[in-house]
Amino acid sequence: MARTLAMFTDTSLCIGCRACQVACKQWNELGSEQPDWTGTYQNQTHFTDKTFRLVRFIEEPGGKPNGDLAWLLMSDVCKHCADAGCLNACPTGAIYRTEHGTVNINQDTCNGCRYCVSACPFGVVSFNEQTGTAKKCTFCNDRIHNGLGPACAKACPTESIQFGFRDDLVGKAQKRVEALKAMGFKNAQLYGADSNGFLGGLNAFFLLLSKPGAYGLPENPKLPQKNIVTDSLLAIGSAFLVGIGALVAFRGRGGKEG
Amino acid sequence: MSLLQSPHWPFLIDVYFFLGGLAGGAFVFATTAQILNPRRHRDVVRVGYYLALAALIPCPLILIVDLGVPSRFLNMLFRFNVDSPMSMGAWALLGFSACAGLAALFTLLEDLRASHFTGAKRLVGVIGSAFGFFLAAYPGVLLGATARPLWIEGHALGALFLAVGASTGAAAMALILAAMGRRAADQVASVRLMTVVALVIQLLAVVVFVGSVQASGSVAATTALRLLTDGRFAMLFWGGAIVLGSVLPLVLGLVDLRRRSFGLTALTSLLVLVGGFLVKYVIMAAGQV
Repeated sequence: MARTLAMFTDTSLCIGCRACQVACKQWNELGSEQPDWTGTYQNQTHFTDKTFRLVRFIEEPGGKPNGDLAWLLMSDVCKHCADAGCLNACPTGAIYRTEHGTVNINQDTCNGCRYCVSACPFGVVSFNEQTGTAKKCTFCNDRIHNGLGPACAKACPTESIQFGFRDDLVGKAQKRVEALKAMGFKNAQLYGADSNGFLGGLNAFFLLLSKPGAYGLPENPKLPQKNIVTDSLLAIGSAFLVGIGALVAFRGRGGKEG
Repeated sequence: MSLLQSPHWPFLIDVYFFLGGLAGGAFVFATTAQILNPRRHRDVVRVGYYLALAALIPCPLILIVDLGVPSRFLNMLFRFNVDSPMSMGAWALLGFSACAGLAALFTLLEDLRASHFTGAKRLVGVIGSAFGFFLAAYPGVLLGATARPLWIEGHALGALFLAVGASTGAAAMALILAAMGRRAADQVASVRLMTVVALVIQLLAVVVFVGSVQASGSVAATTALRLLTDGRFAMLFWGGAIVLGSVLPLVLGLVDLRRRSFGLTALTSLLVLVGGFLVKYVIMAAGQV
């Protein structure tokens, strides 16, 4: 595999302009959809089949270093997990990993079973009723194969979204966390940068100014498929008991069979 | 607020899980009876194999209709993905269909006194039973391998779905055999005993499932579990799935083991069928809220 590509979203630089969200819609021709009134500037509450980049606007009381209300902004996107629940779940092979380490859905083979929708630990994968297929961020697969960065990263005016090789970006991100901590942002932390951490690391990772929970992100997301072995063994145990029961119930007591 | 999305699998999928489990259970019991004592259990074998095929026939249709792009259903069979219970389930459904079709065909030929395939029928029965168990259990394992809080934290869904398949399969067979009147009276007793045993396993699996969700300490999972225990689905769960659908038929079934009345067997069987469906229904519904 070629060097893994990544997106690093530094939420401390985000100004909430949503240029990324618009650029994503334009480049990927995602079209308009019914606005979603959330009580903030955020529009769509969740990722949808037509919203692959979503700027979240979060108010956290006492979140600022001086104790004031913190206004957290986060441009959220598919994490392109190194251990991707959606990719494992896909029964048709429509979800695949590219040579750059990103995760993509082949729209020509997806048959719309929606298993991936339920298997994403971040609620990214969405079902499109018109096409009958699952949709999510493609990491601008067409652009990155032609030497361009993803549309969202290109449009970002503050370099909150950075695109590059993963190892380079992780180094940059770690320096940035140290700088922010020195400035008093004691909760500044990376989310998904550690490739030994959860889900084998995220290829779209984040710098957060507060705990992941404040952004609605799981603290320690689990790979859904981790249960398969335990659950299967328990099912085999259950089958064993049913089998014993059947041998007793249908035993040949008093039968005339030879 | 949770960011997770729901697959919004419709009611029809609950029906599929119910029918698939019932077919798997019925097939396994028909095979057991066939191998242990085919003469004494002649009608058990016939009813079990015919019922398995009848319950199975709607299954692939339901699954195909539910797809976003139904014309691409064959894409499931272009890939063999052991990480995906849905992929394995598609293959199991294919394998089970072949076995259920052959077993029913052999039974039909016997009924028509055309020919006997004792050896082949046993072989198909044994292979099909492995598929049958798989078909009954895999939907539970499939749910466990998602990010939905209630399902990912509960650890016995595969075991529970298999037990429900066994109890509903046996109950449906008991109902049909009881309706056949005196000629099958002796055979109903065996199937009734099977129903009782399966109900005990089913109740055990419910306890393990609820216990493992509670023990997980996950707020999202215990919140979803409360939908079952004292929320929107409490009536269906406690009243329908547990009391009327499992405990009451267990008691009635134990009484019926001695009494052997058609009315009691029919009532017990109907309760088990409704209860088994509700177990799967409430778990599907509460997990997708």
